[in-house]
Amino acid sequence: MDPTLESPEFVDRLRQGDRAAFGLLVKAHHNMLLATARTMLSPADAEEAVQDGWIAAHRAIAKFEGRSLLRTWLTRIVINQARMMLRKGGREIQFDPSDEQDPLAHRFRDGGHWDHPPQHWDLSGPDALLTRDELRHCMEKTLGKMPDNQRLVLELRDLQGMDFDDICNMLDVSASNVRVLLHRARARLFELVDHFQETGEC
Amino acid sequence: MLKCKHVVEKADALVDGAPLSKRERFALRLHLLICHHCRRYVRQLRVLLNSLPRNPDALDDARTREVLERLDSSQDR
Repeated sequence: MDPTLESPEFVDRLRQGDRAAFGLLVKAHHNMLLATARTMLSPADAEEAVQDGWIAAHRAIAKFEGRSLLRTWLTRIVINQARMMLRKGGREIQFDPSDEQDPLAHRFRDGGHWDHPPQHWDLSGPDALLTRDELRHCMEKTLGKMPDNQRLVLELRDLQGMDFDDICNMLDVSASNVRVLLHRARARLFELVDHFQETGEC
Repeated sequence: MLKCKHVVEKADALVDGAPLSKRERFALRLHLLICHHCRRYVRQLRVLLNSLPRNPDALDDARTREVLERLDSSQDR
């Protein structure tokens, strides 16, 4: 993303109510915020959460103090909107890791050594891994089946590249819990690619 | 001696460059030196994370206008 969209000058324009600047903000962040909201909500609800998020952001922007990146600030707003919508529907996203086993647990012997070690992945070409349509399709399926809390943490950390501590703060979850959720999400993806490399199937 | 299972659990912090204690870092390095399965796990985890699709496209102009218009109508209310 264009670094000038986090500059103090740009933030000043936003705080003064510059409409063109707000348009640039929407343009740059909307799809990312939508991807975040979709980890918790249906596509239609996610659209609504992000739209409501823009309304909340527009109201609050004059008081934005620049203590975090705009991107972090906006993401926090949208996550709060999404959580509010979930609560209205009597649902809640939990961040305590469940007792679910580690997705890779079955690959170790009782003593903790590998029983079924990782395959050697064929990585011909710099980005050959996910360029194969079949694997991308499998990946989408795995992401779809992933628990919401793992999916959200993976989205923020590995798809959007957010700072780990920022994620803990915006979710108000301990670093150790975020670590466990992130590990489980990544381990699921690792399992998927490893299995695909071995069998050519999801 | 660190077990493979624990190395895999710690691998996420390692590839993220998260703060680990000197003791943890040393134990991990030592394990990776002697265990090629765990070495492969860490290497391939890095490849996997680097190949995930990042940063979706910017919103197109028409949709951006739509969002702004809905913002305006919310203020009229």
